Amino acid sequence: MISCLIIDDEPFARQEVADLLDKHDDISILGQCANAIEALQQINLLKPDLIFVDIQMPRINGMELIAMLNPEQTPRAVFITAFDEYATKAFDNNAFDYLLKPIDETRFNRTLDKVRSNMTPQPMANILPSQLPHLPCYSGSKLKVVATADVEFIVSDVGGIHVYSAKGVSHTQLTLKALEEKTMLFRCHKQYLLSLNAISEIDITDTGAEVTTHLGAKVPVSRRYLKDLKQLLGFV
Amino acid sequence: MSLILLLTQQMCVYLVIVYLVSKTPLFKLFTESSKRAPHKVFIYVVFSLFCILATYFGEQTSGAIANTRAMGAVLGGLLGGPVTGFFVGLTGGLHRYTMGGFTDIACAISTTFEGLSAGLYSHYLKKTGKAESLYHPARVFMVTFAAELLQMSLILLIAKPFEQAWALVYVIAPPMLLINSLGAAMFMSIVRDQKTMLDKLSSSFSTNALKIAERSVGILSKGFNEQSSQKVAQIIIEETRVGAVAITDRHKLLAFIGIGADHHLPNTPISSTMTLDAIAQNKVMFADGVDNTYACSLSSQCNLGSSLVIPLRSNDEVVGTIKLYEPKNKLFLNINRTLGEGIARLLSNQILYGRFEQQKNLLMQAEIKLLQAQVNPHFLFNALNTISAIINRDPAMAKKLIQQLSQFLRINLTRTTGLVTLADELEHIDAYLAIEHARFIDKLKVNINIPAQYHHHTMPAFTLQPLIENAVKHGTSRMLEAGVITVEAKTQGKDLLLSVTDNAGLYRPANNTEGLGMNLVHKRIQNLYGEPYGITVKSEADTYTCVCVRIPVEEITS
Repeated sequence: MISCLIIDDEPFARQEVADLLDKHDDISILGQCANAIEALQQINLLKPDLIFVDIQMPRINGMELIAMLNPEQTPRAVFITAFDEYATKAFDNNAFDYLLKPIDETRFNRTLDKVRSNMTPQPMANILPSQLPHLPCYSGSKLKVVATADVEFIVSDVGGIHVYSAKGVSHTQLTLKALEEKTMLFRCHKQYLLSLNAISEIDITDTGAEVTTHLGAKVPVSRRYLKDLKQLLGFV
Repeated sequence: MSLILLLTQQMCVYLVIVYLVSKTPLFKLFTESSKRAPHKVFIYVVFSLFCILATYFGEQTSGAIANTRAMGAVLGGLLGGPVTGFFVGLTGGLHRYTMGGFTDIACAISTTFEGLSAGLYSHYLKKTGKAESLYHPARVFMVTFAAELLQMSLILLIAKPFEQAWALVYVIAPPMLLINSLGAAMFMSIVRDQKTMLDKLSSSFSTNALKIAERSVGILSKGFNEQSSQKVAQIIIEETRVGAVAITDRHKLLAFIGIGADHHLPNTPISSTMTLDAIAQNKVMFADGVDNTYACSLSSQCNLGSSLVIPLRSNDEVVGTIKLYEPKNKLFLNINRTLGEGIARLLSNQILYGRFEQQKNLLMQAEIKLLQAQVNPHFLFNALNTISAIINRDPAMAKKLIQQLSQFLRINLTRTTGLVTLADELEHIDAYLAIEHARFIDKLKVNINIPAQYHHHTMPAFTLQPLIENAVKHGTSRMLEAGVITVEAKTQGKDLLLSVTDNAGLYRPANNTEGLGMNLVHKRIQNLYGEPYGITVKSEADTYTCVCVRIPVEEITS
């Protein structure tokens, strides 16, 4: 049984994929998501084998969504697009699976056959954005998109990943590792990522240092990262 | 006494010559004050000749010569300045010296002195901004008088023996003082009259030319055709009062006004070989009616006797001609000939400008057409996908959507670039929104608050619809929350204000793809209605974007 998730911001577009999948008994639909933030949460939660993802979605598009996932957690993906010359060229060049709207059933079935024969997710690093301009977040139960440039620091604790920006604290589904790789944030501590632009002061302590941000928050810097931080800031 | 008469006679001969010369174009040179060397040389030659002839024709009187040489020297100085004056005097003086007599040195020196001092005086007047008074006969009289007094004094001082000199001066001083001064004054009077006449003529010429320019401005730039040519021809005939005026394009007569209008009919092919030659050779053709008469090729009864044909050019290509005629009993004035060529240049420029404007307009219309024809592919394929998705579950709704999509496309493809009513624009918007509602369902809400009283107002097609499409494409469709678009209309004074507001607030001024459509709407409105109209955008990040269109309230069209 192949589990899958359908991600598209248009209800009828999701319905269409679901209708087409209904004819295949070996595929079960775990759910449908209307945007990338919901999708990120559902992927982390349900761990589907396969996702159908529309490229054009509000705030965070399909490509950015994939870029936000940890490579080892990324499911097999089939992209869907109405019209995107640039993306379809990239998919063709890399032999990725994609469908054009309106979806042609024959092509849809052919794509499913291909997926069935090889469920290994394809390496997509070369077509994904290397930097995330936005971070999908929750503030309470409200969806929020935080611009990466606005972030001061990110801390991970038992409660999850907390993003501190001028607009307050919010939580994200992204892992600290993904954030470190896909943003300019600097790893200053096992549990902390720091924006170099947010640094106001650095106090040297026994265990390393403590950074005061422009907004007045304190961020610890452990000894093993202090040298790199000094170097980045030009104190050799 | 007889000396006075003799000198007067001499002076009269000069003045007659001067008067005759004043009728030729050569005389114009006297009336100009120019710093150029050829002009100075001309003055020098003429007045030196004056001096020499005056000496020749002078009266032998008690071993000396009573003459009107001073006239030449003084006028040469006044009209040519100090240097020219000096040389005129010197030439006249040296010539006098060769004639001998006991006053030879005195006359030579004094003539040079006269020329120089008159020149210096003229220089002084020009420096002090009183150049005009140079032409005053009374002043010239005084100057010559003073110069002659100087000469007499020099004769008394230099010529030996003094008794003989005194006797001579006693006889020649009164006539020479009087006649030379009078002669110079009258000469200058002729120069002055000629100058005023020329000034008057050229000012009436400029007034005429300016009037024609002012009245005809913009007429031909709206298009070179029968109507506009008719108007221009009417203006030209009124301002120049020539016998008849005609305007043609390359093949046919566009307008004919004046004598002979009964058989020179607009919209008939050009029959005159002169005109055809003017077009073929890109050359002004002139039949002055004297050596070379104009003969009407249409009617032997035609009373027109002279004709000027000037090609009208756009870039270097002849696009038509303008023709001025005079009847057989009237001379074709030179001034009208020059004026005609000036008018042709003016009209050519207008035609060129008109073509340029027309092309600019065509380009913009092509741009608009292109933009209209470009249905947003993303919208189109998503619409088709929506229909495809519901076609099995709800065939009736799918059918309806296909109808609405067809209507939207049909309006996009067939609508002209002209004016439409707000009601037409709203119909287009409805067709568009029907599809978007099907795509986004509860994620898109559009409130159109436009009272029916505004529905008949006109505006360029594709004014409002692209703004709403922009609000969806760049605004609400990028929101995670539900999008709300509000469309409103109100009047402000004599303006109609239409606004499209979304709750996304994602407008960024540098957004190029969004800018293209909106800029085009803005440019078209400004082009059509003028500067105060067009589009303004207000935006607050993540809160709202409001695009406002201002157009004048037009008369009800239907």
